[in-house]
Amino acid sequence: MTRSVVFLFLAREWHDTRHNSRVLPLYFVLPLVAVALPILLALMAPSMVRDLQRSAEPSTIALTQNLARLAEFQGLPPGEALARYVLRATAGMFLLIPIAIASTAAAFSIVGEKQQRTLEPILATPITDRQLLLGKLLATVGPTVAATWAAGFVAILVVDLVFASRGMAAPLPDRYWTMVLLVLAPALTVAVSLVTMRLSARSSDPQATVQMSALAVLPIFLLVVAVFGRLLTRSFPALLGACVLVLLLDFALFRMNVVRFRREEILTTWK
Amino acid sequence: MIATHGLTRAFDGVPAVEDVSFSVPAGTLFALLGPNGAGKTTTVRMLMGLIGPSAGTATVAGYRIGGGADAGRLLRRACGLLTEAPGFYDRMSAGDNLRFFGRLYGLSERTLRQQLEHFLKLLELWDRRDDAVGTFSKGMKQRLAIIRALFHDPKVVFLDEPTAGLDPEAALEVRELIARLKNEGRTIVVCTHNLDEAERLADAVGILRRRLLVCDTLERLRAGPEGDGSLTVQCTLTAPAADTALALRSGPPAPRVREVRAADVTLTARCLPDEVPRLVAWLVGRGAGIREVHAAADSLETIYLRAVRGER
Repeated sequence: MTRSVVFLFLAREWHDTRHNSRVLPLYFVLPLVAVALPILLALMAPSMVRDLQRSAEPSTIALTQNLARLAEFQGLPPGEALARYVLRATAGMFLLIPIAIASTAAAFSIVGEKQQRTLEPILATPITDRQLLLGKLLATVGPTVAATWAAGFVAILVVDLVFASRGMAAPLPDRYWTMVLLVLAPALTVAVSLVTMRLSARSSDPQATVQMSALAVLPIFLLVVAVFGRLLTRSFPALLGACVLVLLLDFALFRMNVVRFRREEILTTWK
Repeated sequence: MIATHGLTRAFDGVPAVEDVSFSVPAGTLFALLGPNGAGKTTTVRMLMGLIGPSAGTATVAGYRIGGGADAGRLLRRACGLLTEAPGFYDRMSAGDNLRFFGRLYGLSERTLRQQLEHFLKLLELWDRRDDAVGTFSKGMKQRLAIIRALFHDPKVVFLDEPTAGLDPEAALEVRELIARLKNEGRTIVVCTHNLDEAERLADAVGILRRRLLVCDTLERLRAGPEGDGSLTVQCTLTAPAADTALALRSGPPAPRVREVRAADVTLTARCLPDEVPRLVAWLVGRGAGIREVHAAADSLETIYLRAVRGER
């Protein structure tokens, strides 16, 4: 039953999202921004290479020397190695999509039901807290991850086409991009959604929840993204470790949400 | 079907419901009456297993409330609840709303289709099944909410203010539906302010104001507090009734009456049916001008007011 309940919520919430003028644009605007950055970098790669060849900046020289020592860049011209390195760093943009979308979409999850007065009829059905929360969680995570993956797919396709048109090997997806798109972005989406859902369960207004979520989630996760952004360009094991940490955080947050989801409190304190 | 013993619920130390004990046999319509904030919704939520009691126990459809997660799920499956506010997704169609809730009850696609068609036709919403609920009138939403409470075929149905805010025609439709459900042999608990509605529909009545003030069958309640079938007699006189009431209270040779009251030209008293002619004769003999005499068993309104005003 759990699986059907989860898909039931997924379909219903998506129906609501399609009519939510505050949430729906996020699914298009942010992915477009995330797609634009690596494509712009790919298009600018030749001028970057030329600038590099002319540059005598000690930091640039040190960076190209460092890149030459990395296994995946060995044998590549310094300009191309630098372009691929900078492209790798843009994977961080695909971590911002889930943070921004999930923190807004999940804000409506519980408090939206309260506002529509549908929460009590839902709680009166045989559904368990775990099923309800899992359904609500995946209703946010599913479309958010789909948008992230779609944006990632488009970015990879266009960047590779740009590189191919110049007779260079396709740079994406490298293992960093693969890990970010397939593991870290979904894991971060889950974490942000769970934190926001917890706030949503305690709130009586979606707008207030979005603001609270921004206050609670964004600074922490932006910091995380900034750290990951640096890590993921330097060390794959560090990126793997970060993925494991966020996945562990997801399990802890889900458990906390289930344990602290109090039907009574929600029904009796909200008017 | 429902039995409660000392059911109590406090919020932040303030009791909302205290020491409530009653039982509702299967197939009975029990009306839970009481003023706003009397604890009716809290009682229903406890009986549905949505909130736990602070003290006391209750069994509904064979499941003990607070009996663990599995018992809670089975309890909710065995019961249907019409919440105070209908609560639907306004942008979704009536059919999609009901399908959503039906699936939460675990109904199969086939059962869902059959039940939807049966109830939507029964409540004359079949032609509107594809319309968004946001376009529905309050009465239509209420009928839809009643379908939601029923279409998983529950043994016990809780209806919280089923006709609140409805126009007279819609309220009548809902009352007719409740009567039909009662005839089907379902156990129904109706929370209402509408005494007329309760009087027409209920087999038994509980009057709640934090505590259960009165709980009995309507038949026994109408027999009066003494249980002897006393009637309330209202005599409208041509002159102020105060002196007549005083004389009536003073006893023989006046007829045997109780609870004599005077309000302007109206004299009210309680007596056995046989005493009514004697009372009228006594008034005539005393020279009191009589405009109108009305004798009747206690209405539910009288019973209710007596209970909540602490007259019983």
